[in-house]
Amino acid sequence: METYSKKYNIERNDINNAGTVASLTKRALKKRGLSREFVKQVTIGVYEAEINVVIHSYGGTVVVNISDDQVDITFTDIGPGIPSIEKALTKGYSTASSYAIENGFGAGMGLPNIKAVSDEMDLKSSEEGTVLYMKFDITEKCYAS
Amino acid sequence: MQVKDILQSKHLTLLNQQGNLNNTVKGIFACDLLSHVMGFAYEDNVFITVLNNINVLGVASLIDLGCVVFSHNIEVNEAIIIKANELEIPLLSTKLTTAEITIELFRMGV
Repeated sequence: METYSKKYNIERNDINNAGTVASLTKRALKKRGLSREFVKQVTIGVYEAEINVVIHSYGGTVVVNISDDQVDITFTDIGPGIPSIEKALTKGYSTASSYAIENGFGAGMGLPNIKAVSDEMDLKSSEEGTVLYMKFDITEKCYAS
Repeated sequence: MQVKDILQSKHLTLLNQQGNLNNTVKGIFACDLLSHVMGFAYEDNVFITVLNNINVLGVASLIDLGCVVFSHNIEVNEAIIIKANELEIPLLSTKLTTAEITIELFRMGV
């Protein structure tokens, strides 16, 4: 099947549109006949990362690539960076603002959720920005029966 | 069991007209933190919350929850109702607390 490749902008604090990329990615995966369980795993990963860019960063972009054997997604933001990646990967640890918490976010589960659902995850961060890569392998069992 | 079946409860009121009342409901997930919902709720769950926020619908749609129940008589704003109609997500309201409506739904067999 044809490779799907899309790039989207994500705006800082745009909570009302957070989830748009996850929703579009979900639709693209369903069209390819992938199973609900697989689609859910990818959707969780994209949604959590999208929320992170909205509530923690100054804004950024995401590139979503879907081929026959994998989904790879790269989120790139323009700062301010994650002070401690080790802490950020700890379940329940959060630096979310009161604005994010009032909107139901900031449980400290975003990155742990992404790590749990993806087959590969890589996170690099400095004051100039953060790059989060996640990959989901597509195997025969990922297709709806 | 479907959404229309749980609406038989005298404690639940339907808030929007275009929600799909034929949605299956199976299991209950009560929570006000959306990452916990994303990570731990299952498809077709009844999602009980006090979070009056449009992102509730994003999560409900992304993981195919059966319906959303706002507990504690939370006032739901018009933007949420309009969006729920677009997404065909049933929105229900109750005066009961989260714990009380969870027990009520459990007794109904959800």
